Amino acid sequence: MPHQKLWNPYVAGVALGLVLLASFLVMGNGLGASGAANRAAIGAAYVVAPDTVGHDPYFAKYVGPGKNVLDDWLVFEVLGVFLGGVVGAYSAGRLRRGILMGPRPMPAWGRLGLALAGGILMGVAARLARGCTSGQALTGGSVLSLGSWVFMMMVFAGGYLAAPLVRRQWR
Amino acid sequence: MIFPLYPLDAFGYEASLVAGTLLGFAFGFVLERSGFGRAPVLAAQFYFADTRVLKVMFGAIVTALLGTTILAGAGVLDYSLLTVPETFLWPQLAGGLLLGVGFIVSGYCPGTAVVAAGSGNLDGAMTVAGVMAGSLLYGFFHPWVAEFEMSGAMGVARLPDLLGVPQALLAAGVAAMAVGMFLGAEALEKLFARRRGGGPLLAPVPRNWVFIGIALASLGGLGTLALEPPAPAAAPAPRVVRIDSLTLARTLVESPDSVRLVDVREPAACEAKRIPGAMCLPADDPGGSFLADLPPTRRLVLYGAAELRALPGPAARFGGPVLVLAGGFAAFETAILTAPVAPSPVTPEALARFRLVSALHAKFTGAAAAPPPPAPAGPARVQPRGPKKGGGC
Repeated sequence: MPHQKLWNPYVAGVALGLVLLASFLVMGNGLGASGAANRAAIGAAYVVAPDTVGHDPYFAKYVGPGKNVLDDWLVFEVLGVFLGGVVGAYSAGRLRRGILMGPRPMPAWGRLGLALAGGILMGVAARLARGCTSGQALTGGSVLSLGSWVFMMMVFAGGYLAAPLVRRQWR
Repeated sequence: MIFPLYPLDAFGYEASLVAGTLLGFAFGFVLERSGFGRAPVLAAQFYFADTRVLKVMFGAIVTALLGTTILAGAGVLDYSLLTVPETFLWPQLAGGLLLGVGFIVSGYCPGTAVVAAGSGNLDGAMTVAGVMAGSLLYGFFHPWVAEFEMSGAMGVARLPDLLGVPQALLAAGVAAMAVGMFLGAEALEKLFARRRGGGPLLAPVPRNWVFIGIALASLGGLGTLALEPPAPAAAPAPRVVRIDSLTLARTLVESPDSVRLVDVREPAACEAKRIPGAMCLPADDPGGSFLADLPPTRRLVLYGAAELRALPGPAARFGGPVLVLAGGFAAFETAILTAPVAPSPVTPEALARFRLVSALHAKFTGAAAAPPPPAPAGPARVQPRGPKKGGGC
Protein backbone atom coordinates (compact mmCIF):
# COMPACT_ATOMS: atom_id res chain seq x y z
CA MET A 1 0.00 0.00 0.00
CA PRO A 2 1.84 3.09 -1.19
CA HIS A 3 -0.73 5.19 0.67
CA GLN A 4 0.83 4.46 4.02
CA LYS A 5 4.06 6.09 2.97
CA LEU A 6 2.41 9.24 1.68
CA TRP A 7 2.42 12.30 3.87
CA ASN A 8 -0.81 13.45 5.43
CA PRO A 9 -2.24 15.84 2.81
CA TYR A 10 -2.63 18.72 5.27
CA VAL A 11 0.98 18.41 6.41
CA ALA A 12 2.08 18.06 2.77
CA GLY A 13 0.09 21.17 1.87
CA VAL A 14 1.84 23.24 4.53
CA ALA A 15 5.23 21.82 3.44
CA LEU A 16 4.55 22.68 -0.19
CA GLY A 17 3.40 26.13 0.88
CA LEU A 18 6.65 26.70 2.77
CA VAL A 19 8.66 25.76 -0.34
CA LEU A 20 6.56 28.18 -2.37
CA LEU A 21 7.03 30.88 0.28
CA ALA A 22 10.79 30.28 0.22
CA SER A 23 10.73 30.70 -3.56
CA PHE A 24 8.96 34.05 -3.22
CA LEU A 25 11.40 35.22 -0.53
CA VAL A 26 14.54 34.09 -2.36
CA MET A 27 13.68 34.58 -6.03
CA GLY A 28 10.76 37.02 -5.87
CA ASN A 29 8.99 34.51 -8.05
CA GLY A 30 6.93 31.37 -7.48
CA LEU A 31 7.46 27.90 -8.92
CA GLY A 32 6.78 26.60 -12.40
CA ALA A 33 6.94 23.63 -14.70
CA SER A 34 5.45 23.99 -18.18
CA GLY A 35 7.66 26.95 -19.12
CA ALA A 36 10.71 24.71 -18.84
CA ALA A 37 9.04 21.98 -20.93
CA ASN A 38 8.32 24.63 -23.54
CA ARG A 39 11.96 25.74 -23.58
CA ALA A 40 13.25 22.17 -23.72
CA ALA A 41 10.90 21.40 -26.62
CA ILE A 42 11.91 24.51 -28.56
CA GLY A 43 15.58 23.74 -27.91
CA ALA A 44 15.17 20.20 -29.22
CA ALA A 45 13.25 21.41 -32.27
CA TYR A 46 15.94 24.00 -32.96
CA VAL A 47 18.62 21.30 -33.00
CA VAL A 48 16.58 19.16 -35.42
CA ALA A 49 15.35 21.91 -37.73
CA PRO A 50 17.24 25.15 -37.07
CA ASP A 51 16.00 26.88 -40.22
CA THR A 52 12.30 26.21 -39.73
CA VAL A 53 12.36 27.08 -36.03
CA GLY A 54 14.87 29.94 -36.22
CA HIS A 55 12.83 31.83 -38.81
CA ASP A 56 9.48 31.42 -37.07
CA PRO A 57 8.54 34.75 -35.49
CA TYR A 58 7.03 33.05 -32.43
CA PHE A 59 10.11 30.93 -31.71
CA ALA A 60 12.54 33.75 -32.52
CA LYS A 61 12.10 35.12 -28.97
CA TYR A 62 13.64 31.92 -27.64
CA VAL A 63 16.25 30.84 -30.17
CA GLY A 64 18.64 32.57 -32.49
CA PRO A 65 22.18 33.90 -32.58
CA GLY A 66 23.47 34.66 -29.10
CA LYS A 67 20.45 33.15 -27.34
CA ASN A 68 20.44 29.98 -25.32
CA VAL A 69 16.88 28.78 -24.87
CA LEU A 70 17.89 26.77 -21.80
CA ASP A 71 19.54 29.72 -20.02
CA ASP A 72 16.62 30.36 -17.71
CA TRP A 73 16.18 29.76 -13.99
CA LEU A 74 12.95 27.82 -14.63
CA VAL A 75 14.88 25.17 -16.58
CA PHE A 76 17.16 24.67 -13.57
CA GLU A 77 14.20 24.69 -11.21
CA VAL A 78 12.49 21.88 -13.14
CA LEU A 79 15.74 19.95 -13.26
CA GLY A 80 15.57 20.20 -9.46
CA VAL A 81 11.95 18.98 -9.49
CA PHE A 82 13.05 15.90 -11.41
CA LEU A 83 15.89 15.20 -8.96
CA GLY A 84 13.51 15.78 -6.05
CA GLY A 85 11.21 13.19 -7.59
CA VAL A 86 14.07 10.69 -7.91
CA VAL A 87 15.26 11.17 -4.33
CA GLY A 88 11.72 11.27 -2.90
CA ALA A 89 10.76 8.03 -4.61
CA TYR A 90 14.06 6.32 -3.81
CA SER A 91 13.98 7.20 -0.12
CA ALA A 92 10.38 5.98 0.11
CA GLY A 93 11.30 2.71 -1.57
CA ARG A 94 9.13 3.26 -4.63
CA LEU A 95 11.70 4.15 -7.28
CA ARG A 96 11.03 1.56 -9.95
CA ARG A 97 10.36 1.59 -13.65
CA GLY A 98 6.78 0.87 -14.47
CA ILE A 99 3.51 2.11 -15.87
CA LEU A 100 0.90 3.24 -13.36
CA MET A 101 -2.77 2.62 -14.12
CA GLY A 102 -6.11 2.18 -12.41
CA PRO A 103 -7.41 -1.11 -10.98
CA ARG A 104 -8.68 -2.40 -14.35
CA PRO A 105 -5.93 -3.95 -16.45
CA MET A 106 -5.35 -2.13 -19.71
CA PRO A 107 -2.72 -2.54 -22.41
CA ALA A 108 0.47 -0.55 -21.81
CA TRP A 109 0.14 1.23 -25.16
CA GLY A 110 -3.37 2.35 -24.20
CA ARG A 111 -2.23 3.93 -20.95
CA LEU A 112 0.84 5.51 -22.57
CA GLY A 113 -1.31 6.81 -25.44
CA LEU A 114 -3.70 8.49 -23.00
CA ALA A 115 -0.75 9.92 -21.06
CA LEU A 116 0.66 11.37 -24.29
CA ALA A 117 -2.71 12.73 -25.43
CA GLY A 118 -3.38 14.37 -22.07
CA GLY A 119 0.12 15.81 -22.11
CA ILE A 120 -0.41 17.36 -25.54
CA LEU A 121 -3.66 18.96 -24.36
CA MET A 122 -1.88 20.37 -21.31
CA GLY A 123 1.05 21.64 -23.39
CA VAL A 124 -1.32 23.66 -25.56
CA ALA A 125 -3.37 24.75 -22.53
CA ALA A 126 -0.35 25.91 -20.55
CA ARG A 127 0.88 28.10 -23.40
CA LEU A 128 -2.58 29.59 -23.84
CA ALA A 129 -2.98 30.28 -20.12
CA ARG A 130 0.68 31.33 -19.64
CA GLY A 131 1.30 28.65 -17.06
CA CYS A 132 0.03 25.44 -15.54
CA THR A 133 -1.04 24.24 -12.12
CA SER A 134 2.36 25.32 -10.74
CA GLY A 135 2.94 28.69 -12.37
CA GLN A 136 -0.66 29.86 -12.46
CA ALA A 137 -2.72 28.01 -9.86
CA LEU A 138 -0.14 27.72 -7.04
CA THR A 139 2.04 30.76 -7.71
CA GLY A 140 -0.51 33.19 -9.13
CA GLY A 141 -3.13 31.92 -6.69
CA SER A 142 -0.86 32.76 -3.74
CA VAL A 143 -0.40 36.34 -4.89
CA LEU A 144 -4.17 36.64 -5.51
CA SER A 145 -4.01 37.18 -9.27
CA LEU A 146 -7.50 37.23 -10.78
CA GLY A 147 -6.52 35.29 -13.91
CA SER A 148 -4.80 32.61 -11.83
CA TRP A 149 -7.91 32.03 -9.72
CA VAL A 150 -10.08 31.83 -12.84
CA PHE A 151 -7.57 29.34 -14.27
CA MET A 152 -7.56 27.22 -11.11
CA MET A 153 -11.36 26.98 -10.92
CA MET A 154 -11.43 26.01 -14.59
CA VAL A 155 -8.84 23.25 -14.07
CA PHE A 156 -11.09 21.61 -11.49
CA ALA A 157 -14.14 22.22 -13.72
CA GLY A 158 -12.40 20.64 -16.73
CA GLY A 159 -11.22 17.69 -14.67
CA TYR A 160 -14.64 16.94 -13.19
CA LEU A 161 -16.39 17.42 -16.55
CA ALA A 162 -14.10 14.99 -18.36
CA ALA A 163 -13.76 12.50 -15.49
CA PRO A 164 -16.87 10.42 -16.39
CA LEU A 165 -15.53 10.01 -19.96
CA VAL A 166 -12.30 8.35 -18.80
CA ARG A 167 -13.76 6.64 -15.73
CA ARG A 168 -12.75 3.21 -17.01
CA GLN A 169 -9.12 4.25 -16.90
CA TRP A 170 -9.15 5.07 -13.19
CA ARG A 171 -11.94 3.32 -11.23
CA MET B 1 13.21 45.26 3.53
CA ILE B 2 15.39 42.20 3.13
CA PHE B 3 13.13 40.07 0.95
CA PRO B 4 12.85 39.12 -1.87
CA LEU B 5 16.59 38.48 -2.01
CA TYR B 6 17.29 38.14 -5.73
CA PRO B 7 15.38 41.20 -6.96
CA LEU B 8 17.16 43.18 -4.23
CA ASP B 9 20.51 42.07 -5.66
CA ALA B 10 21.50 39.85 -2.73
CA PHE B 11 23.19 37.46 -5.14
CA GLY B 12 24.03 37.13 -8.82
CA TYR B 13 22.65 35.29 -11.81
CA GLU B 14 24.70 32.09 -11.44
CA ALA B 15 23.74 31.82 -7.77
CA SER B 16 20.09 32.28 -8.77
CA LEU B 17 20.32 29.18 -10.94
CA VAL B 18 21.67 27.21 -7.97
CA ALA B 19 18.89 28.60 -5.76
CA GLY B 20 16.35 27.68 -8.42
CA THR B 21 17.65 24.12 -8.58
CA LEU B 22 17.46 23.74 -4.79
CA LEU B 23 13.94 25.18 -4.63
CA GLY B 24 12.92 22.86 -7.46
CA PHE B 25 14.42 19.93 -5.59
CA ALA B 26 12.34 20.72 -2.50
CA PHE B 27 9.27 21.21 -4.70
CA GLY B 28 9.79 17.83 -6.39
CA PHE B 29 10.49 16.04 -3.11
CA VAL B 30 7.34 17.35 -1.42
CA LEU B 31 5.22 16.57 -4.49
CA GLU B 32 6.57 13.02 -4.47
CA ARG B 33 5.82 12.54 -0.76
CA SER B 34 2.35 13.96 -1.34
CA GLY B 35 1.80 11.06 -3.73
CA PHE B 36 1.71 13.34 -6.76
CA GLY B 37 4.19 11.27 -8.74
CA ARG B 38 1.50 8.60 -9.04
CA ALA B 39 -1.36 9.04 -11.51
CA PRO B 40 -3.98 6.91 -9.66
CA VAL B 41 -3.52 9.06 -6.53
CA LEU B 42 -4.02 12.27 -8.51
CA ALA B 43 -6.96 10.95 -10.53
CA ALA B 44 -8.76 9.89 -7.32
CA GLN B 45 -9.47 13.60 -6.75
CA PHE B 46 -11.92 13.66 -9.63
CA TYR B 47 -13.92 10.68 -8.36
CA PHE B 48 -14.05 11.93 -4.73
CA ALA B 49 -12.09 8.85 -3.62
CA ASP B 50 -9.18 10.86 -2.14
CA THR B 51 -9.27 14.64 -2.40
CA ARG B 52 -5.64 15.18 -1.51
CA VAL B 53 -5.02 17.23 -4.67
CA LEU B 54 -7.40 19.85 -3.33
CA LYS B 55 -6.02 19.65 0.20
CA VAL B 56 -2.36 19.91 -0.75
CA MET B 57 -2.95 22.61 -3.33
CA PHE B 58 -5.10 24.88 -1.20
CA GLY B 59 -3.02 24.13 1.88
CA ALA B 60 0.02 25.35 -0.04
CA ILE B 61 -1.72 28.42 -1.41
CA VAL B 62 -3.03 29.41 2.03
CA THR B 63 0.40 28.88 3.61
CA ALA B 64 2.26 30.94 1.02
CA LEU B 65 -0.45 33.59 0.94
CA LEU B 66 -0.52 34.04 4.72
CA GLY B 67 3.28 33.92 4.89
CA THR B 68 3.82 36.64 2.29
CA THR B 69 1.00 38.73 3.76
CA ILE B 70 2.44 38.63 7.28
CA LEU B 71 6.01 39.31 6.14
CA ALA B 72 4.92 42.18 3.88
CA GLY B 73 2.75 43.58 6.68
CA ALA B 74 5.70 43.40 9.08
CA GLY B 75 7.84 45.34 6.61
CA VAL B 76 10.28 42.51 5.91
CA LEU B 77 9.12 41.72 2.37
CA ASP B 78 8.69 44.22 -0.44
CA TYR B 79 5.52 42.82 -1.98
CA SER B 80 5.81 45.04 -5.05
CA LEU B 81 8.92 43.11 -6.13
CA LEU B 82 7.07 39.78 -6.33
CA THR B 83 6.24 38.62 -9.84
CA VAL B 84 2.48 38.48 -10.28
CA PRO B 85 1.28 36.68 -13.43
CA GLU B 86 -0.67 39.01 -15.69
CA THR B 87 -4.34 38.33 -16.28
CA PHE B 88 -5.63 37.45 -19.73
CA LEU B 89 -9.15 36.43 -18.79
CA TRP B 90 -10.42 34.43 -21.77
CA PRO B 91 -7.31 32.44 -22.69
CA GLN B 92 -6.81 31.61 -18.99
CA LEU B 93 -10.41 30.47 -18.68
CA ALA B 94 -10.14 28.28 -21.81
CA GLY B 95 -6.61 27.14 -20.94
CA GLY B 96 -7.73 26.08 -17.45
CA LEU B 97 -10.60 24.03 -18.83
CA LEU B 98 -8.35 22.36 -21.40
CA LEU B 99 -5.65 21.67 -18.83
CA GLY B 100 -8.21 20.10 -16.50
CA VAL B 101 -9.25 17.72 -19.29
CA GLY B 102 -5.62 16.89 -20.03
CA PHE B 103 -5.07 16.31 -16.29
CA ILE B 104 -7.70 13.57 -15.96
CA VAL B 105 -6.82 12.01 -19.34
CA SER B 106 -3.11 11.74 -18.56
CA GLY B 107 -3.39 11.47 -14.78
CA TYR B 108 -0.83 14.24 -14.23
CA CYS B 109 -0.33 17.95 -14.50
CA PRO B 110 2.91 19.17 -16.09
CA GLY B 111 4.85 19.54 -12.82
CA THR B 112 3.74 16.26 -11.30
CA ALA B 113 4.50 14.48 -14.59
CA VAL B 114 8.14 15.51 -14.13
CA VAL B 115 8.07 14.03 -10.60
CA ALA B 116 6.47 10.86 -11.96
CA ALA B 117 9.16 10.56 -14.61
CA GLY B 118 11.76 10.93 -11.87
CA SER B 119 10.04 8.17 -9.89
CA GLY B 120 10.46 5.83 -12.86
CA ASN B 121 6.86 5.98 -14.06
CA LEU B 122 6.89 5.75 -17.85
CA ASP B 123 3.38 7.17 -18.10
CA GLY B 124 4.73 10.31 -16.42
CA ALA B 125 7.62 10.51 -18.88
CA MET B 126 5.11 10.10 -21.71
CA THR B 127 3.05 12.98 -20.31
CA VAL B 128 6.16 15.18 -20.20
CA ALA B 129 6.78 14.30 -23.86
CA GLY B 130 3.17 15.24 -24.59
CA VAL B 131 3.48 18.59 -22.82
CA MET B 132 6.59 19.35 -24.86
CA ALA B 133 4.85 18.35 -28.08
CA GLY B 134 1.79 20.41 -27.17
CA SER B 135 3.95 23.48 -26.49
CA LEU B 136 5.59 23.12 -29.89
CA LEU B 137 2.24 22.63 -31.62
CA TYR B 138 1.03 25.82 -29.98
CA GLY B 139 4.10 27.64 -31.30
CA PHE B 140 3.67 26.37 -34.85
CA PHE B 141 -0.02 27.27 -34.94
CA HIS B 142 0.47 30.50 -33.02
CA PRO B 143 -0.86 32.83 -35.77
CA TRP B 144 -4.27 31.13 -35.46
CA VAL B 145 -4.55 31.83 -31.75
CA ALA B 146 -2.55 35.07 -31.53
CA GLU B 147 -5.64 37.22 -31.24
CA PHE B 148 -7.46 35.05 -28.71
CA GLU B 149 -4.26 34.70 -26.70
CA MET B 150 -4.35 38.43 -25.93
CA SER B 151 -8.09 38.74 -25.26
CA GLY B 152 -9.32 39.93 -21.88
CA ALA B 153 -5.91 41.48 -21.10
CA MET B 154 -6.05 43.20 -17.71
CA GLY B 155 -2.36 43.48 -16.88
CA VAL B 156 -1.46 42.69 -13.29
CA ALA B 157 -4.92 42.31 -11.73
CA ARG B 158 -4.84 41.39 -8.04
CA LEU B 159 -8.01 40.62 -6.14
CA PRO B 160 -7.29 42.99 -3.20
CA ASP B 161 -7.00 45.90 -5.63
CA LEU B 162 -10.01 44.86 -7.70
CA LEU B 163 -12.24 44.36 -4.65
CA GLY B 164 -10.78 47.20 -2.59
CA VAL B 165 -10.24 44.87 0.36
CA PRO B 166 -7.01 44.88 2.44
CA GLN B 167 -4.83 41.91 1.56
CA ALA B 168 -4.77 40.55 5.13
CA LEU B 169 -8.56 40.47 5.28
CA LEU B 170 -8.81 38.74 1.91
CA ALA B 171 -6.09 36.26 2.94
CA ALA B 172 -8.05 35.39 6.08
CA GLY B 173 -11.15 34.98 3.90
CA VAL B 174 -9.31 32.64 1.51
CA ALA B 175 -8.05 30.64 4.51
CA ALA B 176 -11.58 30.30 5.92
CA MET B 177 -12.88 29.27 2.49
CA ALA B 178 -10.11 26.66 2.18
CA VAL B 179 -10.93 25.14 5.57
CA GLY B 180 -14.58 25.03 4.54
CA MET B 181 -13.62 23.27 1.32
CA PHE B 182 -11.43 20.77 3.22
CA LEU B 183 -14.31 19.84 5.52
CA GLY B 184 -16.69 19.60 2.56
CA ALA B 185 -14.23 17.41 0.66
CA GLU B 186 -13.88 15.08 3.66
CA ALA B 187 -17.63 14.77 3.92
CA LEU B 188 -17.77 13.81 0.23
CA GLU B 189 -14.92 11.33 0.68
CA LYS B 190 -16.83 9.63 3.50
CA LEU B 191 -20.05 9.57 1.48
CA PHE B 192 -18.38 7.98 -1.54
CA ALA B 193 -16.34 5.61 0.62
CA ARG B 194 -19.52 4.33 2.32
CA ARG B 195 -21.07 3.71 -1.11
CA ARG B 196 -18.03 1.66 -2.09
CA GLY B 197 -17.88 0.01 1.30
CA GLY B 198 -14.34 1.22 2.00
CA GLY B 199 -13.10 2.86 5.18
CA PRO B 200 -12.02 6.46 5.72
CA LEU B 201 -8.44 7.19 4.75
CA LEU B 202 -7.22 9.73 7.25
CA ALA B 203 -6.62 10.19 10.93
CA PRO B 204 -7.88 13.60 12.08
CA VAL B 205 -4.95 14.48 14.32
CA PRO B 206 -2.52 16.48 12.16
CA ARG B 207 -5.48 18.04 10.41
CA ASN B 208 -6.73 19.90 13.45
CA TRP B 209 -3.28 21.21 14.25
CA VAL B 210 -2.98 22.52 10.69
CA PHE B 211 -6.38 24.19 11.01
CA ILE B 212 -5.31 25.86 14.26
CA GLY B 213 -2.10 27.04 12.56
CA ILE B 214 -4.08 28.49 9.65
CA ALA B 215 -6.38 30.33 12.06
CA LEU B 216 -3.47 31.76 14.05
CA ALA B 217 -1.64 32.86 10.88
CA SER B 218 -4.83 34.52 9.61
CA LEU B 219 -5.06 36.46 12.87
CA GLY B 220 -1.37 37.31 12.58
CA GLY B 221 -1.96 38.69 9.10
CA LEU B 222 -4.88 40.77 10.34
CA GLY B 223 -2.70 41.94 13.22
CA THR B 224 -0.24 43.50 10.78
CA LEU B 225 -3.03 45.82 9.67
CA ALA B 226 -2.77 47.46 13.08
CA LEU B 227 0.97 48.05 12.68
CA GLU B 228 0.61 50.94 10.30
CA PRO B 229 -2.12 53.46 9.64
CA PRO B 230 -4.26 52.24 6.68
CA ALA B 231 -1.23 51.31 4.65
CA PRO B 232 -2.31 51.33 1.03
CA ALA B 233 -4.90 54.11 1.39
CA ALA B 234 -2.55 57.04 2.01
CA ALA B 235 -0.86 57.48 -1.35
CA PRO B 236 2.76 58.25 -0.49
CA ALA B 237 4.01 61.53 -1.91
CA PRO B 238 6.64 60.88 -4.57
CA ARG B 239 9.98 60.85 -2.82
CA VAL B 240 13.11 61.97 -4.57
CA VAL B 241 14.68 58.66 -5.49
CA ARG B 242 18.10 58.76 -7.12
CA ILE B 243 19.29 56.61 -9.99
CA ASP B 244 22.96 56.52 -10.91
CA SER B 245 24.30 57.03 -14.42
CA LEU B 246 25.33 53.42 -14.98
CA THR B 247 21.95 52.01 -13.93
CA LEU B 248 20.14 54.56 -16.07
CA ALA B 249 22.31 53.77 -19.09
CA ARG B 250 21.68 50.05 -18.67
CA THR B 251 17.96 50.60 -18.27
CA LEU B 252 17.83 52.74 -21.41
CA VAL B 253 19.56 49.98 -23.37
CA GLU B 254 17.83 46.94 -21.88
CA SER B 255 14.28 48.16 -21.45
CA PRO B 256 13.86 51.59 -23.01
CA ASP B 257 10.08 51.31 -22.67
CA SER B 258 10.22 51.17 -18.89
CA VAL B 259 11.32 54.78 -18.40
CA ARG B 260 10.53 58.22 -19.75
CA LEU B 261 13.59 60.42 -19.56
CA VAL B 262 13.07 64.20 -19.41
CA ASP B 263 15.79 66.84 -19.57
CA VAL B 264 14.61 69.76 -17.42
CA ARG B 265 17.47 72.14 -18.26
CA GLU B 266 16.85 75.22 -20.38
CA PRO B 267 15.37 74.05 -23.69
CA ALA B 268 18.30 75.55 -25.58
CA ALA B 269 20.90 73.66 -23.55
CA CYS B 270 18.92 70.48 -23.99
CA GLU B 271 18.61 70.90 -27.74
CA ALA B 272 22.38 71.38 -27.97
CA LYS B 273 23.40 68.21 -26.13
CA ARG B 274 21.38 65.73 -24.07
CA ILE B 275 21.34 62.08 -23.09
CA PRO B 276 20.23 60.13 -26.18
CA GLY B 277 16.58 59.18 -25.71
CA ALA B 278 15.73 62.14 -23.45
CA MET B 279 13.00 64.62 -24.29
CA CYS B 280 13.45 68.35 -23.80
CA LEU B 281 10.98 70.71 -22.19
CA PRO B 282 8.96 72.31 -24.99
CA ALA B 283 9.71 76.00 -25.63
CA ASP B 284 6.08 76.95 -24.95
CA ASP B 285 6.01 75.02 -21.64
CA PRO B 286 9.36 75.66 -19.95
CA GLY B 287 7.82 74.92 -16.53
CA GLY B 288 7.02 71.37 -17.63
CA SER B 289 3.37 71.43 -16.57
CA PHE B 290 2.75 68.49 -18.96
CA LEU B 291 4.75 66.25 -16.60
CA ALA B 292 1.82 65.96 -14.19
CA ASP B 293 -0.43 64.58 -16.93
CA LEU B 294 1.90 61.94 -18.38
CA PRO B 295 0.42 58.44 -18.09
CA PRO B 296 2.09 56.71 -15.12
CA THR B 297 2.84 53.59 -17.16
CA ARG B 298 6.60 54.30 -17.22
CA ARG B 299 8.93 55.53 -14.52
CA LEU B 300 9.75 59.18 -14.96
CA VAL B 301 13.46 60.03 -14.81
CA LEU B 302 14.44 63.70 -14.60
CA TYR B 303 17.81 65.36 -14.80
CA GLY B 304 19.18 68.88 -14.71
CA ALA B 305 22.66 70.19 -15.30
CA ALA B 306 23.61 69.08 -11.78
CA GLU B 307 21.63 66.91 -9.40
CA LEU B 308 18.08 68.07 -8.79
CA ARG B 309 17.51 68.76 -5.09
CA ALA B 310 13.74 68.93 -5.37
CA LEU B 311 11.22 67.84 -7.94
CA PRO B 312 9.66 70.48 -10.16
CA GLY B 313 6.06 71.01 -8.97
CA PRO B 314 4.35 69.29 -11.90
CA ALA B 315 6.60 66.24 -11.58
CA ALA B 316 5.58 65.90 -7.93
CA ARG B 317 1.99 65.47 -9.13
CA PHE B 318 2.98 62.69 -11.58
CA GLY B 319 1.02 59.50 -10.89
CA GLY B 320 3.90 57.00 -10.98
CA PRO B 321 7.43 56.65 -9.63
CA VAL B 322 9.76 59.60 -10.23
CA LEU B 323 13.54 59.29 -10.15
CA VAL B 324 16.26 61.87 -10.50
CA LEU B 325 19.63 61.21 -12.06
CA ALA B 326 22.33 61.36 -9.39
CA GLY B 327 24.75 64.15 -10.28
CA GLY B 328 22.62 65.27 -13.21
CA PHE B 329 23.82 65.59 -16.79
CA ALA B 330 27.37 66.31 -15.70
CA ALA B 331 27.65 62.94 -13.98
CA PHE B 332 26.25 61.07 -16.97
CA GLU B 333 28.62 62.89 -19.29
CA THR B 334 31.59 61.82 -17.18
CA ALA B 335 30.42 58.27 -16.57
CA ILE B 336 29.07 57.23 -19.95
CA LEU B 337 29.56 59.85 -22.66
CA THR B 338 33.31 60.02 -22.00
CA ALA B 339 35.36 57.04 -23.14
CA PRO B 340 36.32 54.92 -20.13
CA VAL B 341 39.93 54.50 -19.12
CA ALA B 342 41.31 50.98 -18.95
CA PRO B 343 41.59 49.86 -15.34
CA SER B 344 44.87 49.39 -13.59
CA PRO B 345 45.48 47.29 -11.62
CA VAL B 346 43.32 44.79 -13.51
CA THR B 347 40.95 43.05 -11.13
CA PRO B 348 38.05 40.92 -12.40
CA GLU B 349 35.54 43.42 -10.99
CA ALA B 350 37.23 46.43 -12.52
CA LEU B 351 37.53 44.63 -15.83
CA ALA B 352 33.86 43.63 -15.88
CA ARG B 353 32.87 47.19 -15.08
CA PHE B 354 35.20 48.55 -17.74
CA ARG B 355 33.69 46.27 -20.36
CA LEU B 356 30.16 47.22 -19.36
CA VAL B 357 30.93 50.95 -19.46
CA SER B 358 32.74 50.55 -22.80
CA ALA B 359 29.75 48.81 -24.31
CA LEU B 360 27.38 51.45 -22.97
CA HIS B 361 29.70 54.24 -24.08
CA ALA B 362 29.74 52.80 -27.60
CA LYS B 363 25.94 52.51 -27.58
CA PHE B 364 25.35 56.08 -26.44
CA THR B 365 27.99 57.85 -28.49
CA GLY B 366 27.77 55.70 -31.58
CA ALA B 367 31.49 55.03 -31.32
CA ALA B 368 32.31 52.30 -33.83
CA ALA B 369 33.88 50.02 -31.27
CA ALA B 370 34.80 50.15 -27.64
CA PRO B 371 38.53 50.37 -26.94
CA PRO B 372 40.03 46.89 -26.75
CA PRO B 373 40.03 45.48 -23.25
CA PRO B 374 43.41 44.89 -21.64
CA ALA B 375 43.01 41.15 -21.06
CA PRO B 376 41.69 38.06 -22.85
CA ALA B 377 38.18 39.17 -23.57
CA GLY B 378 34.70 38.12 -24.36
CA PRO B 379 32.14 40.66 -25.43
CA ALA B 380 30.73 42.75 -22.60
CA ARG B 381 27.57 41.11 -21.51
CA VAL B 382 24.78 43.03 -19.93
CA GLN B 383 23.24 40.51 -17.61
CA PRO B 384 19.46 40.64 -17.30
CA ARG B 385 18.32 40.77 -13.69
CA GLY B 386 15.39 39.09 -12.11
CA PRO B 387 13.44 36.09 -13.31
CA LYS B 388 11.83 36.82 -16.63
CA LYS B 389 8.19 37.69 -16.42
CA GLY B 390 5.50 35.95 -18.41
CA GLY B 391 5.18 32.30 -19.36
CA GLY B 392 5.87 31.75 -15.71
CA CYS B 393 4.95 28.18 -15.21
